[in-house]
Amino acid sequence: MIEVNERIEVPSAPRTVWSVLSDPHEVVGCVPGAALGAEQEDGSFDATLTVKFGPAKVAFRARVALELDPAAMSGRVLARGKDDKGGTRIRSNLTFRVEERAEPAGSVVPIEAQVEIGGKLASLVEGGAALVVKRMTREFTERLAARCAAAAA
Amino acid sequence: MKVYQRLAANFKAEGVTHMFGIMGDANMYWMHELDKLGGVKMLEVRHEGAGLGMADGWARATRSVGVATTTCGPGVSQLATAFLTASRAESPIVAFCGEHPTNDQEYNQRLDQARFAAGCEAGFVRLNTPDDADDAVRKAFYMARMESRPVMLSAPMDVQQKTFEDDDEPYKPSSTLIPPRAVRPDPEALRQAADIVAGAKQPVIIVGRGARWSGAGEAVLRLAKRTGALVATTLMAKTWLSEDEYHVGVAGTYGTRTAMRLFEEADCVIAVGASMNRYTIEHGYLFPKARYVQIDSKPHVVMAGGRSADCYVQADARAGVEGLDTLLEERSFRNVGYRTPDVRKQLAGQYEDRKEFPLDPGTVDPREVIRVLEETVPTSISLFTGSGATAGFSNIMFTRQRPLVLPSHFFGCIGQMMPAAMGAVVATGNKPAMLVDGDASVMMHLAEFETMVRYDVPLLIVVMNNEALGSEYYKLHAHDMKSELATIPTPDLGAVARAFGGRGRLARNAEDVRAAAAEWIAKPGPMMIDARISRSVVTLPYRRIHYGEDE
Repeated sequence: MIEVNERIEVPSAPRTVWSVLSDPHEVVGCVPGAALGAEQEDGSFDATLTVKFGPAKVAFRARVALELDPAAMSGRVLARGKDDKGGTRIRSNLTFRVEERAEPAGSVVPIEAQVEIGGKLASLVEGGAALVVKRMTREFTERLAARCAAAAA
Repeated sequence: MKVYQRLAANFKAEGVTHMFGIMGDANMYWMHELDKLGGVKMLEVRHEGAGLGMADGWARATRSVGVATTTCGPGVSQLATAFLTASRAESPIVAFCGEHPTNDQEYNQRLDQARFAAGCEAGFVRLNTPDDADDAVRKAFYMARMESRPVMLSAPMDVQQKTFEDDDEPYKPSSTLIPPRAVRPDPEALRQAADIVAGAKQPVIIVGRGARWSGAGEAVLRLAKRTGALVATTLMAKTWLSEDEYHVGVAGTYGTRTAMRLFEEADCVIAVGASMNRYTIEHGYLFPKARYVQIDSKPHVVMAGGRSADCYVQADARAGVEGLDTLLEERSFRNVGYRTPDVRKQLAGQYEDRKEFPLDPGTVDPREVIRVLEETVPTSISLFTGSGATAGFSNIMFTRQRPLVLPSHFFGCIGQMMPAAMGAVVATGNKPAMLVDGDASVMMHLAEFETMVRYDVPLLIVVMNNEALGSEYYKLHAHDMKSELATIPTPDLGAVARAFGGRGRLARNAEDVRAAAAEWIAKPGPMMIDARISRSVVTLPYRRIHYGEDE
């Protein structure tokens, strides 16, 4: 189980950040290696995610469900997937909120996530997976900031 | 004639010239008889497990049966790790083990040796009655050779002392039972394989020990040139065929980043005499786009991840590859594939590891130790690499071909490569060789250095000494836990070696290593170099697995 506990700081207004985070097509652009597929009847999405664990490239196919609370500017993302070789499973449960940051003006996005990687890859990557997730979180932050800046402009 | 005398004569008739072990009263008579018969050299060791390990090294080096011997009970129980290692290495070995007397169930040294052997994955033959003496020896050797595995021949002490009646009948050795072995490929399977290969644009050939044992080298290189294939080896066949310009080293976690990037594009893998386990293909992640053709002499092999090759061809490696090449020749098939100047450019410097690490004071970069040894030690000197964390350096950075290059890792245990290296050196007529292993490994069977000195075994042991259980040290560190728990200081092993009557040097920098190695090369003999390496340098595989680095 990989735990993610971050507070992402974005130099954009909360409304702007929320508009990006609440739009699946915008968010997916912030996740390195991700692409959005078809929307399902129940509102969930197909998605693909290609991750490099060390030099091993793994392509996951996932089903992603998004629950949004616009009033509270918070959301929950549930993803379940497996790689196209069927050898590795990924399951993740992520919650986020958009809060105002007073000084300097902007937003703070607390993110809590649990990521479970099971199957063959789990033993191959051991501790490395946690670091990969950390790296992906960092990249996510940079891309989110860029998108929000572009959205506000 | 007594049974033990017949047993001894039978072993000699099987062509045994050397054996390794420790005398106890349950194998004493048999050993005494062999000494009387002459022609079989007995090497007395300091731990029975090391004796079996030497028989294992003998078998790995020669592919002929290695022989070890122990007394009953506590002599046998010492064999556990060595048996398991030999089983995983698929080494043909016969261990002659005395057993407690059948008429004394309260014997102090009693042991259920059949169950012990089964638990250690060894074959088992018991000498039940005097009449069985010939059958028992013949069966043990037959099993060892046919199944390529270690076998315990268990001989109760009282049965050994009985009279053998048929001593006018000559012994028929196991060779009279064993059929000619080359397995020819099924024509339909071969055609299917040719279809797959002919449809491939970027093939990779992976050769394992089976290909080497079969003498398939020339055929493999011919096939590689025709199909435009890269040539890779399993860990166990490391450096073999590296004269080919498109040789990419080991397939698996000991591979280079260059190789892994090239493998991403492979659409076909031709595995020859290789088991294709999870370490070689990383559960299939190493070759995400490839179909598999597998040529092996076993009736069938299941690859990592519980999958079967797209086309499995049961064949002797050489016969299979030659057959495949002939079919492709008939179709006038030629493909450039990977064999381009651009790929050659990518391969230049593929083994370099340029990552910088600040070194602990008074230590040398372990990668520098390997580089110095690779340059200084001539290619006529065989190489053995141990297990443990430092194998992450030696298994990648030694790339030159040598008469023998034997890595370990069969059972993932430390300590077993020193006995194996000793046995292999004895098997090759005491030709000088080098073992590169970790400190915890060498400390485990340190007493056998005395054995080395006693028999003047010209093995240079380079100890990659980080005074730690390296694997655990890095794992603890990666998980932000107390890594000091995995550190264990050692004495100056150069001084220890000299105290045992051999030669030894302590080395704290590259120049010390070079000088000590040069000294050994000028006058080979039993010698240890205690190379103090820095813990700060993390091996490439660990950077990938524990730190998630894309290297």
